[in-house]
Amino acid sequence: MSKPAGRRWRPGRGYLVLPPLLFVALLIFAPIIYIALFSVGLRSNIPGTQVAFSLDNWDSFLLGENNPFRARFFYSMRVALIVSVVTTIAAYPLAYFLSFVARQRRYTLLLLLLAPFFTSYLLRVLAWQIMLNDEGVVTWAARAVGLVPDDGNISWLIYSTFSVSLVLFYTWVPFVTLPIFAVLENMDHRLLEAAQDLGASRWTTFWRVTFPLSLPGVIAGFVFVMIPTTGEFITPLFVGGADNQLFGNSIQAFFGTTNWNLGSVLAMALIITVVILMLIFGRFLNTDLRAAPRGDET
Amino acid sequence: MRTGGAVGKVLLSIYFVLFMVFLLAPLVVLVVFAFDDSTTATLPLEGWTTHWFSEAFTNGQLTNALVRSATIAAVAAVIATVLGLMASVGLTSDRLRLRSLTVASLMLPLVVPYISLAVGLVILLQAIAVQTSLTAVVLGHVVIALPFAILVLLPRLRTLDPSMNEAARDLGAGDLTAFRLITLPLLGPALVSSFLISFVTSFDEFAIASFLAPSGQPTYPVFLYASSRTPALLPQVIAIGTLVIALSMALVLVAEGGRRWAEKRLVGDQEFDDEVSEENLAEGLVILGDS
Amino acid sequence: MNGPIENALSRRNFLGGAVMLGGATILTGCGSPAVQDTPEAGASRPPMEQEPGELSIMEWGGYEAGGTKAQAYGLVAGTDYTDKYGGNSISYTYINNDDQALQKATASNTFDLMHPCVEDLPDYVSRGLVQPFDTELLASFGELNPFLLEAGQIDGKQYMIPWDWGYGSLLYRKDLVDEADATGWELAWNEKYADKISLWGGASTNFEIAGLLLGFANIDDPSPDEIEQAKQKLIDQKPLNKFYWDNEYGQMRPAFRSGTIDIAYSWQAAYASFADKGMDVGYMEPSQGRLSWLCGFLLGSTTENYYHAHDYVESFINRKASEDLVNLYSYGAANTAIDINRIENQALVDSLKLDDPAAISSDDVHLQTWMPNSAAIDTAWQEVVAS
Repeated sequence: MSKPAGRRWRPGRGYLVLPPLLFVALLIFAPIIYIALFSVGLRSNIPGTQVAFSLDNWDSFLLGENNPFRARFFYSMRVALIVSVVTTIAAYPLAYFLSFVARQRRYTLLLLLLAPFFTSYLLRVLAWQIMLNDEGVVTWAARAVGLVPDDGNISWLIYSTFSVSLVLFYTWVPFVTLPIFAVLENMDHRLLEAAQDLGASRWTTFWRVTFPLSLPGVIAGFVFVMIPTTGEFITPLFVGGADNQLFGNSIQAFFGTTNWNLGSVLAMALIITVVILMLIFGRFLNTDLRAAPRGDET
Repeated sequence: MRTGGAVGKVLLSIYFVLFMVFLLAPLVVLVVFAFDDSTTATLPLEGWTTHWFSEAFTNGQLTNALVRSATIAAVAAVIATVLGLMASVGLTSDRLRLRSLTVASLMLPLVVPYISLAVGLVILLQAIAVQTSLTAVVLGHVVIALPFAILVLLPRLRTLDPSMNEAARDLGAGDLTAFRLITLPLLGPALVSSFLISFVTSFDEFAIASFLAPSGQPTYPVFLYASSRTPALLPQVIAIGTLVIALSMALVLVAEGGRRWAEKRLVGDQEFDDEVSEENLAEGLVILGDS
Repeated sequence: MNGPIENALSRRNFLGGAVMLGGATILTGCGSPAVQDTPEAGASRPPMEQEPGELSIMEWGGYEAGGTKAQAYGLVAGTDYTDKYGGNSISYTYINNDDQALQKATASNTFDLMHPCVEDLPDYVSRGLVQPFDTELLASFGELNPFLLEAGQIDGKQYMIPWDWGYGSLLYRKDLVDEADATGWELAWNEKYADKISLWGGASTNFEIAGLLLGFANIDDPSPDEIEQAKQKLIDQKPLNKFYWDNEYGQMRPAFRSGTIDIAYSWQAAYASFADKGMDVGYMEPSQGRLSWLCGFLLGSTTENYYHAHDYVESFINRKASEDLVNLYSYGAANTAIDINRIENQALVDSLKLDDPAAISSDDVHLQTWMPNSAAIDTAWQEVVAS
């Protein structure tokens, strides 16, 4: 589309992205660069120290024998992975219900599902802490039905990997439902009818047609929960014990000490991990924000 | 329309209902304990009272933290919406160089873990010899809300019928005027959505606030965390918490109701179609889902 | 302009080698700290009526002024202040442990008053976070124990107004723990009680405990090698913990009371409280010796509420408030004018020697004091927590 001849060049509205970009540059790129510099010892928060490029902290984190932070990193990855898988599996039937069973009111029900998600995250975690506590609702219920003696409690209920995982699961299921639902909605139902017409049972239709077609949404949902959970640290603060603190907690703790260099190594490692995850799984996320206007997409 | 068999439908429905109960249970627990006349949130209940609410509202520290958070959230939401609008308009230009890079950069805050971002900002502040401050918190919140603002505004911008804009231009309006008089009002609901999402994101944000807010001036989430371990303050915190929950739920309902109302006005009563409206709601939710 | 963290290195030179234990002075300085940005007493400042009056205080849970919303235990201290100015003008930021408190204050130096313990005093001073008190403004100043006052001085200036002192040891259930096991700090390492133990989350305290157990010459100045040993010892202990507690009233006490934990690091107040309620508890006298501590008020260097802050401190150190402190929490008070015979639990007064502040630096206890290599200990503690 060329401009009419004779008009002088005016800056296209493309330049409007510059102020937001500048903002992001200052407040995302600059901090990341500083974290990187700290992690290799090129800067220090204790003025007067000699700054010199040093991979010592990286070395001990990546290769050091029995490095506790690396162990914590892998523990966090495992927790994130398990939580993500379970959450995605649990969310699928919800999305399926919304898309195939609750036809008329599906969007309203979806909104209902999401409504708790819009309330304060901290409050929901706090609510779980209250529920799972030693004298809390769940213990009281267990005592009431005789599962535990009258002054006993279930030791793994709070301050455990279970409590951290449960709360994370609780927080993320509604959100994971979204992309699966989106994909199920966009599915061409004629394909499913065709399969049935050809004699496939409902179950077979599901497994061989519906589910494979919905895979992009499933993976998107999985990525949705996996990526933020790797950096999670709030939930362990409330319901985690000493052994269930996640990698994010180590980062948080370090910046309450003077050793920001080691803390930066951890923070950088987390960023790199997330970037790698995004690169691997990014193709499954359908952010088509690039298309020209007047397109025909959703 | 193909559906599962009756048994399958019933099972799925039961699953959904049970799950809704599971989702709402903790919130109900909070509400119940907000009215429980006991200093510890344990069963059995010890009597009905509303005095935790009055305690909470006369607790200067708590109300200050709430006001502080609300102010920060409002300011951050406005800035994020404005910047988001600029970015969205810019992204609709068909002559944008380095488009993928621009989009990736603008979406970056969605991906960077908040804890890493928070410590990065702390380092940045220390490097430029600036103390922790509420302004820093606002800026931090703007940057994490920005992608949400763009994700709400951009699709809406793109689905706007360009013919109205063209008509305005044919009638001699300049770019800016056309934008101001045609596009902006049409974007109304999206702008409100963007503001609300940014507001909520900022109001509930803990990581950045816990590092950047000055110690004696906590935001509400930071105060919540500190108080959750202080027995004297826990009941008040629960009371306020239930109010926040009620408000957020109400906000969601109002937003949905408002959206439908706005659509009716835009589209005209006769053309307003429940199904289409549901689909527009879907569009919004799916954008979230697709992002 | 020097920032708050600027002087961290200068403190390394500051107390090189000199430490406490016994004797009149707790902190002997071999040279003065590089004191920065501390206003002189008597410098021109706005009169009290012009001060904003909103106090921001860094404080331990349970020590909030009487008359504020947060004070839930009936502490009398502070009521003189809140009676005059109301309870709503005070906002508290909570201390979990001294290491974190110092970091908080360093990161955002906006407090009017802080209530840490004496071991970090040199850091607060050398980082320019505090200014000396004007002792003339404190009516009860003359009643304070001179031994403790001297501990709060640096370079002759009264930076800390001492208020409370006491001990740190293991609190344990006498009915559930073998008396034969409760002879020393090794009780926390005893596998018989696995998952029923809770140590505090304070880095320096735990390293001191490990140091006592391993028999270091100076638990407050461990060599790098000793730090490594102590770290390993603490890593060995970690699996036996139910959790590291951060908050006495919110975590430790409820868990102890409900039987979730039977052994906990504790100050004596919890012991007195549980004994009072009829629980069969013991407060250990370890063979290696208990820890002891002294805490007090520090005045923020950037405070705009100079006179209000002094009034607040006065409302804590006066005789009535100090006597209540001993009665309520069984901690020692710095005010010598209190009538020790009016304390209800005389047995506790005797066993804890609450009438003699010098008890905290006697030979059989270890007063927690400044650690030159706290940075290394901090990092090592993080490794313990992460392992």
